[in-house]
Amino acid sequence: MLRSRIVPVLLIHDGGLVKTRQFTDHKYVGDPINAVKIFNEKAVDELTLLDIDATVQGEGPDFVRLQKIAIESRMPLCYGGGITTAEQAAQIIALGFEKVSISAAALERPKLIREMADQVGTQSVVVTVDVRKEGFMGGYAVYSHNGKRKHKVKLIEYIREAEALGAGEIVVNMIDRDGMMAGYDLKLAKIVRDATTVPLTFVGGAGDSTHMAALIETVGTCGAAAGSMFVFKGTYRAVLISYARPSV
Amino acid sequence: MTYQICTNCVMDTSDESIHFDTNGVCDHCNGFETNVMPDWHTGEDGRRMLAEIIDKIKAEGQGKEFDCILGMSGGLDSSYMLHLLVTEFGLRPLVFHVDGGWNTDIAVNNIQMLVEKLGLDLYTEVINWEDMRDFQLAFFKSGVPHLDLPQDHAFVATLYHFANKHGIKYIMNGGNISTECVRNPLQWLYYGTDMAQINDIRRQFCTRPLKHYPFSSVLFHKVYLRYIKGVEVVKPLNLLPYTKELAINTLSEKYGWRAYPQKHFESRFTKFYEGYWLPTRFGYDTRRVQYSSLILTGQMTRDEALQRLEKPAYDPETIDDEFEYIATKLGITAEELRLYHSMPLKSYRDYKNQAWMFDLGAKAMRALGLERNIKR
Amino acid sequence: MIGIINYGSGNIAALMNIFRQGRIDHCLCTAPADLEQADRFLLPGVGAFDPTMAQLDHSGILEALRVQVFEANRPVLGICVGMHLLAEGSDEGNLPGLGWIKGRVRKIDTTGLSSPPLLPHMGWNSVNLQGGSALFDGIDGAQGFYFLHSYYFDASADEDITATVDYGGNLPCAVERGRVFGVQFHPEKSHANGVRLLRNFAELV
Repeated sequence: MLRSRIVPVLLIHDGGLVKTRQFTDHKYVGDPINAVKIFNEKAVDELTLLDIDATVQGEGPDFVRLQKIAIESRMPLCYGGGITTAEQAAQIIALGFEKVSISAAALERPKLIREMADQVGTQSVVVTVDVRKEGFMGGYAVYSHNGKRKHKVKLIEYIREAEALGAGEIVVNMIDRDGMMAGYDLKLAKIVRDATTVPLTFVGGAGDSTHMAALIETVGTCGAAAGSMFVFKGTYRAVLISYARPSV
Repeated sequence: MTYQICTNCVMDTSDESIHFDTNGVCDHCNGFETNVMPDWHTGEDGRRMLAEIIDKIKAEGQGKEFDCILGMSGGLDSSYMLHLLVTEFGLRPLVFHVDGGWNTDIAVNNIQMLVEKLGLDLYTEVINWEDMRDFQLAFFKSGVPHLDLPQDHAFVATLYHFANKHGIKYIMNGGNISTECVRNPLQWLYYGTDMAQINDIRRQFCTRPLKHYPFSSVLFHKVYLRYIKGVEVVKPLNLLPYTKELAINTLSEKYGWRAYPQKHFESRFTKFYEGYWLPTRFGYDTRRVQYSSLILTGQMTRDEALQRLEKPAYDPETIDDEFEYIATKLGITAEELRLYHSMPLKSYRDYKNQAWMFDLGAKAMRALGLERNIKR
Repeated sequence: MIGIINYGSGNIAALMNIFRQGRIDHCLCTAPADLEQADRFLLPGVGAFDPTMAQLDHSGILEALRVQVFEANRPVLGICVGMHLLAEGSDEGNLPGLGWIKGRVRKIDTTGLSSPPLLPHMGWNSVNLQGGSALFDGIDGAQGFYFLHSYYFDASADEDITATVDYGGNLPCAVERGRVFGVQFHPEKSHANGVRLLRNFAELV
């Protein structure tokens, strides 16, 4: 049976790894190379790396760093950050990554999704959507640039468009819950699940395995991704890498 | 100097300061009775001494969140000590881990298992990697053997600063006679807190100001903290029966703790450094020191030690990958790392140092009866 | 020595990494002459069927590979789209496949899946081993492998299928006929099982 993917998400900022809360409040958690090596040794299902500086600083991906990371990995890898062309995506795949994620660039130019799918195949195209709860009606607004730029698109319409253009996976990143470790936004997960048939991954809110179990219970087989849960330990947010799958 | 190996342990002339008596027994062995045994109390008296200390720690810690602090590397000694302190003595230690950027999966797993099963909370400090990298590279470039100084110094400094910040008076130390009574020769692993040496190597080889790296002079933690602030370092493992085997069995049984192939191998850097770099570049094999300790304390036979020493401390199958990884992690090419490996050998004497001061301090400590087994 | 057929498609870097980590002898085969150094071959592939097939055709390496497999009797292992190339053709394109194993590449039929996600088939799935294949020696079928695909190789002859995966039906995920092997999943990204499978291939007699 196809299993849900339990995915650590690592954020690269100023060359180091950080963990945020609600996309701010960066806490330094170390160097990417050794962290990736530990996750590799822990045989994780997949690993996602997001360079949170690239887009806002108008830079492309740091291919040299990505190569160093790929060389140490024998786990499925996804990279996101600063990608604006299908050629960049192909370059990243060639380094040994399975999937490439786009966010801001896809919002600005949705056709990029199609171009990437043509170049590297649908299965390797990940569209990540950062969302925040908004308004009294319990709606959700779409953001990019680390939660600083708001977009006019309607979340569900955009996800359907991304699927139609050839996204092989949609990642929904819930800004309000980022780093809070109090559970995923299950209502949001349900809405998104009902809107598309492609594989989904949710990130934002996981604090322990029961949160992941609740997510899987709600939407079925999916990607349950987390940052804090896999890099912090205990009430003092001690930095200690760990990995565990929910028992579902 | 012609080659000679001790007839009792496995220390040999790779330790340049070694002396042999007429029976071919080295000064490590000969010093054991006078320098080591008096500090080692595995019987009733040790229990009593420990109980007194524990009572004092508990009494002073009343009403506080923690009564002592323990630096946790995930290695055998610190792990076993934590187990004892909590389960046998009911202490409430602040468990503190310093992440120097080289943790292995086994190390983080062991720390996780212990704190989870003991229901403790963990504090960590992550050393800024760009500073650590630059500092470690400076030591490679300097050509000296004591390359592990940047890690060791950071661990010690961070722990003492943290204890000071939180007003914790007791630092529990896993140092022990049972597995480390023979000390690494000074020529191999120089003092980690000699600021003259550190500053000279920094000045010559660092490319960054190391703003985030935690420095601590020996004056701060050995003099200021101990004698002004009254911080006490306690080594409980010397006051009860402690053997490597007992510790490994207890920990793996109770916590799912995983053993390392060799002492200090919880850090990828130290594994590479002690397993490969020191023996192949300098001919210094720290296993000689470790095995000799075990021989003196009756945990290993000399024959077994000799047999083990025939094999290299590194795994020839994986060493190429490891070499490549160390270079990648340090942000240099494997060729550059090879260059450092083959450059002329240097020692602490080639850089500014205050060895005389440490020596004097050690002699004073010995004279006062505070420390007997001094490094030489 | 495993020769990785380097014709411009496939995750070559990931394969090189895993061979290096697993200390499995390997080399890159970019020109026909390079194949002489190796005694078994790995045919990677990512992307759509037609462009990948065309790339292999134009690489000038195909004939040399054919000689190695069918005249020198040396094994070849196709991975993912590299496996698809071994088929007679694909619903994903119009070009004929190599036809080294009978069957056709088809899109996964999702009517058998009760709920999304549907396509692509993405993630870790267990495999049902049919037994008898040296490639799967010591492999934990329940742990399975990492999959990432929407098309699969629908092999015609049951005896050519060495493993299946349950995804809206029982789909073949490993095929084998004579010296020709193919796997749908990514052994280079499947941790211990993946390393074991590649080592098995390296040690095939």
